[in-house]
Amino acid sequence: MESVLFGIGVTALAGALATIAGAAEDTESNIGSQGDPNSQVQLAPQMGYIHRIYNKAVSGEPPAYGLWVTISAGVAWAFMATGMNPVLALVIASALAIFVQGVYATTAYLGRTASLAKFEQPVYIDVLRSVTTVTMAHAFVAVFPAVAMCYLLIAALGHPFPLALLGIVWGIALGAAGSATGNPFYGKERQYQSQKFGAGVPISASGNIVRYAEAGQRSSLDNGWFTAKLAGPASGVCFGLIVFLEIWRTVLFEEVASGWGAIIAGVVIILIFMIIDRYIEVWARKNYGPYQAEATEEVSA
Amino acid sequence: MSAIAAGSGGGEGINPVASVIGIVLILVTLAITYIAAPVAIAALVGVIVGGLLIGFGVHFVPVGGAPAAMGQSPGIATGVAMLAAGAGLAGLFGGAWAAANPAFDFAVVIAAGAVGGGLMMAITCLMVNVIYIFGMGIPAASGKVAKDPITGDTQEAYKSQGTEGHGLPFISYVGGVIGGLLGGAGGTLIYYELLQVYAAALPTVFSADAAEVLPIAVSLAGIFAIGMFLVNAVLAAYNITGTIEGPHDPKFKRFPRAIIGCATASAVCGLFAILIVVV
Repeated sequence: MESVLFGIGVTALAGALATIAGAAEDTESNIGSQGDPNSQVQLAPQMGYIHRIYNKAVSGEPPAYGLWVTISAGVAWAFMATGMNPVLALVIASALAIFVQGVYATTAYLGRTASLAKFEQPVYIDVLRSVTTVTMAHAFVAVFPAVAMCYLLIAALGHPFPLALLGIVWGIALGAAGSATGNPFYGKERQYQSQKFGAGVPISASGNIVRYAEAGQRSSLDNGWFTAKLAGPASGVCFGLIVFLEIWRTVLFEEVASGWGAIIAGVVIILIFMIIDRYIEVWARKNYGPYQAEATEEVSA
Repeated sequence: MSAIAAGSGGGEGINPVASVIGIVLILVTLAITYIAAPVAIAALVGVIVGGLLIGFGVHFVPVGGAPAAMGQSPGIATGVAMLAAGAGLAGLFGGAWAAANPAFDFAVVIAAGAVGGGLMMAITCLMVNVIYIFGMGIPAASGKVAKDPITGDTQEAYKSQGTEGHGLPFISYVGGVIGGLLGGAGGTLIYYELLQVYAAALPTVFSADAAEVLPIAVSLAGIFAIGMFLVNAVLAAYNITGTIEGPHDPKFKRFPRAIIGCATASAVCGLFAILIVVV
């Protein structure tokens, strides 16, 4: 009984760490404009819209986070092998991984923006200076809990994978969850606020992103402020639920029916999520109704 | 050109010459394994089956890429290979955990991996719809079919003007879960088969106890499983070229050639993964 209670406590802690990691991951990727909507940031100058949005999407979020979490996990493992205190090792290793992220962010922003020189998109040095450090700070908040969670799964729950391998697994899953959940809100709601609410962005409006904030020109810091209100927490809940329920069903039901208990619990949870999804799909159709075209096109900012 | 307008240059049919070459390569890898390490032949078959399960599963995952992030096309707003890998690796996490328990048999381990991948996709798909519906005020609508094949909901009226649809219709949601289940099962199958080979061969290679080399066997099998997962997910993503809504999407019909490609790539990768311990 005590071991089950201990397992549930560790599960809750791992879920909480995953929630923090997911929320920070999405906010970081929105500030750095690394998710899928970055194609619009890259496209905008070609359509004649010069902007001050950061753009560091050389690869997708999942492989990038796979790299950073794995670097942190590998370095932490090496520190621990020398006898360093695990908490200290995890903190220092995460900080070192974030320097790699900072170098990546800097070179990616300079490279991608320089490639738009023929469309007269300048490289803003003040944007580089102000946004890079903020995106690094958010990346630290994402990477440290992710690695701490991986360590917890090994040290407390006895997962067979070594720390670096779990870093790859959960780093890629973290990026995938954040990229899937948070990106639409950043892409549609933030970059296309001039488009009318409650509809997808027409393909003809591609590249016409909103470039002005409440006071002056918008920078990527404004994006972090906006998306931290919904997209970030939603990504956090998504990744937190994935980690929590995955471990919870195993810890609680693994011994039931020689292993099938955890599998049956997983299937039941999947069916419950499916019912909730169907409910909100029907709710949206009833409450929003069919698409209504507007009489006049709104003028974009 | 947007990702929606971008078409596939390859068409939908199966290239007979390429398919024959692929099948010959699979037979060659099986023959080499049979000569070099007859005991590992079942493991290689398992790896090949795992690879084609991943390749098939990727076709179910509804992915809209950048257009989905603007509500221009249905699906999840990320890349095919990225999402499929995320779901499959979450499954591998559960599968590897189950494989570490000696009391569990083969079926439990594979099912644990499958459910892990399916669970990841179920949660992600739900949160995607939550963001679309409550964050952006957009109902789900498919651009590829007039009616949802499962619920019978009409799609056209709910589609915003100038888009290919948006959100995740129920058929896409179910497709995502099936894709996660298949990916998780495939990845775990590769891991499990390689683990058996390594656990049996490594004590001889290192002249050590089985318990001592088990962490090395687990790490090696895990690294190869992750690597082969990415190989198969990326190969299948090339077949999909950009976006796919799920099993109702016309691009889904291309899956047979991806299965041949993934089986061939898995056979070659699996051969090397086995040869490093038996030669």
